[in-house]
Amino acid sequence: MTAFIEIKDVLKEYGTATALRGVSFAVERGQWCAVVGASGSGKSTMLNIIGGLDSPSSGCVSMDGVDLCALGEDPMARFRRENVGYVFQQSHLVPYLTSVENVMLAQYFHSLTDEDEAREALARVGMDHRLGHRPSQLSGGEQQRVCIARALINSPKVLLADEPTGNLDRENTTLILGLLKRLHTEEHFTIIMVTHDAYVAGWAGRVVTMEDGLIVKDEPSDR
Amino acid sequence: MLFILLRQSFTNQMKAMFLMFLSVAMGTAVSASLVAISLDVQGKVSRELRSFGANITIEPKVEGLAGLAGQRRFLSEEDIPKAKTIFWRHNIIGLTPFLELEALLEVAHSGATSKRKVMGAWFDHSIMLPGESEPFDAGVSSVMPWWEVSGSAPGEGEALVGVSLAQELGIKSGDTVRLMGRDLRVSGTLSTGGAEDGLLVLNLNELQSLSGNEGALTRVMVSALTTPMDEFAYKDPDTMSKVEYEKWYCTGYVTSIAKQLEEVFGGSRVKPIWRVAETEGRVLERLTVLVYLLTLAALVAAALGMSTTLAASVLRRLDEIALMKAVGADRMGISIIFLAETFIIGLAGGLVGYLISLAAAHYIGVEVFGSALDQKGILLPASILSALGISSLAAWLPIRRALMVKPAVVLKEVH
Ligand SMILES: Nc1ncnc2c1ncn2[C@@H]1O[C@H](COP(=O)(O)OP(=O)(O)O)[C@@H](O)[C@H]1O
Ligand SMILES: [Mg+2]
Repeated sequence: MTAFIEIKDVLKEYGTATALRGVSFAVERGQWCAVVGASGSGKSTMLNIIGGLDSPSSGCVSMDGVDLCALGEDPMARFRRENVGYVFQQSHLVPYLTSVENVMLAQYFHSLTDEDEAREALARVGMDHRLGHRPSQLSGGEQQRVCIARALINSPKVLLADEPTGNLDRENTTLILGLLKRLHTEEHFTIIMVTHDAYVAGWAGRVVTMEDGLIVKDEPSDR
Repeated sequence: MLFILLRQSFTNQMKAMFLMFLSVAMGTAVSASLVAISLDVQGKVSRELRSFGANITIEPKVEGLAGLAGQRRFLSEEDIPKAKTIFWRHNIIGLTPFLELEALLEVAHSGATSKRKVMGAWFDHSIMLPGESEPFDAGVSSVMPWWEVSGSAPGEGEALVGVSLAQELGIKSGDTVRLMGRDLRVSGTLSTGGAEDGLLVLNLNELQSLSGNEGALTRVMVSALTTPMDEFAYKDPDTMSKVEYEKWYCTGYVTSIAKQLEEVFGGSRVKPIWRVAETEGRVLERLTVLVYLLTLAALVAAALGMSTTLAASVLRRLDEIALMKAVGADRMGISIIFLAETFIIGLAGGLVGYLISLAAAHYIGVEVFGSALDQKGILLPASILSALGISSLAAWLPIRRALMVKPAVVLKEVH
């Protein structure tokens, strides 16, 4: 029986540079796992490979029993929109769409748009007062909350977050982490979160430390 | 959502969208006007070329011993209206009869005599056609518009002298010449630049009665609008199958029109004037090829214009495309967005291009050919389809570029 998310001997090379040097790693359903490490240690690369945004040079990735490396480009896109919610460090939002439209964009590529549902998702992250605003009219924390709402809209099984609080002050960071915590405890989301901030990592149940393309430490959080 | 994306795409990149629209609209306008012209130009140019004179002659058939003995045969004046009853009657735009014979000519004031060719022709002569209310101009000017008469056309008891004959025998307007025992007043001189300059020309009916050849003709010159000869046209009708013969007979080739004229003129032999007919065919053929090449060039230019603009727009939107892919767009999802943009531009460009071409073709028709072009309705759907075609073709490479976007790479670059 394989774990919910499992990567095995994953190697990722970019030309001559090697971002991951044979990483093996498993996450169980319902776990909240933080990935920490210095800049350039391969955290984002690993997260992108788990989420199917990138493919490994060698090694296997599976999620919920599906071998992601065996999927072609389009099946991969379909798998991703069914199963994975993504939150990036920079709140990648389409600049000319409002909050609610940005959330609806994910619905559109998934199946059908439903504006009420999109509003509800924004309300869940406390953004119901900024539905018609464009990203440029929102603060960093607000943008990131829209991203979380967008990541959750298609009811994914996993939430992948790449430095979700990287650009935020402590107050907004705590707000975002509180949101993730609620998703984790109340809705039993599986969360993998990349960060280089020990305070942020402390919120997760498990902390994986990377160094130069390898996992060097994997332990339960001391919290 | 697609609607929101498209609306935003159009409002955020108005300049690019307008450029693409302009490329397609101009390409469609140019090509649709060219096609409109080419569809109508055959008729128009062919009509213009008809001012070069007759392209068919009808002469009496001379065969066997009669030919050897030099016996004269004639066509009958009664057959003339029948020319306008053949299958291609509407293509007969001019015809005029002649009677030519040799006679002794005597100049009254000098007493000089000379055996000369004399010709009878119709000047300002209309005939009534069976079943038509309008008279048909069968005068010499309907076929030979370049005939230049100084003085006036010969009436009864009058004659025109060709300029070279006039010079040779020293004849002027107002002089009297004697022909077959009758005095004729010279009403003017005739200059054609051809053999007629050496002739004495009378009114046809006068010459017929003077020479005792009532209703007789030696030649009818016909000016007909024809379909350019193609390979099929050169086949020998005698070797054609029934179906082929039908097709040949019902196509307005100069040869099939000649054949039909031969059927209605008793005892006639009808021949195309190849020098004229072939030149005409070549001119039309080249014109058609030229027009189609230009049309193609206009379409290619439009596609290139649109393609470059769209490619630039895709490059500007790489982040957005990567983001869409990251939130789950597959290749179809991305393609649909760009194809929908392309479709709207193609549709609008095609429609506006068609409207411009209507005006352009009308203008060109009036300015160049002196009459509006007969616009074919088929051009509207054809314009829109070709605009959609070129815009999809133009969109092909840029869309491929958009599909190649790797979300992980592009999203990282922003970091
Ligand atoms: N698209 C890429 N092309 C080339 N090298 C890359 C690319 N993405 C990442 N890298 C390299 O791979 C290594 C790991 O990068 P990354 O996973 O982004 O690290 P982290 O997220 O831990 O800061 C770095 O050395 C980085 O320079
Ligand atoms: Mg990173």
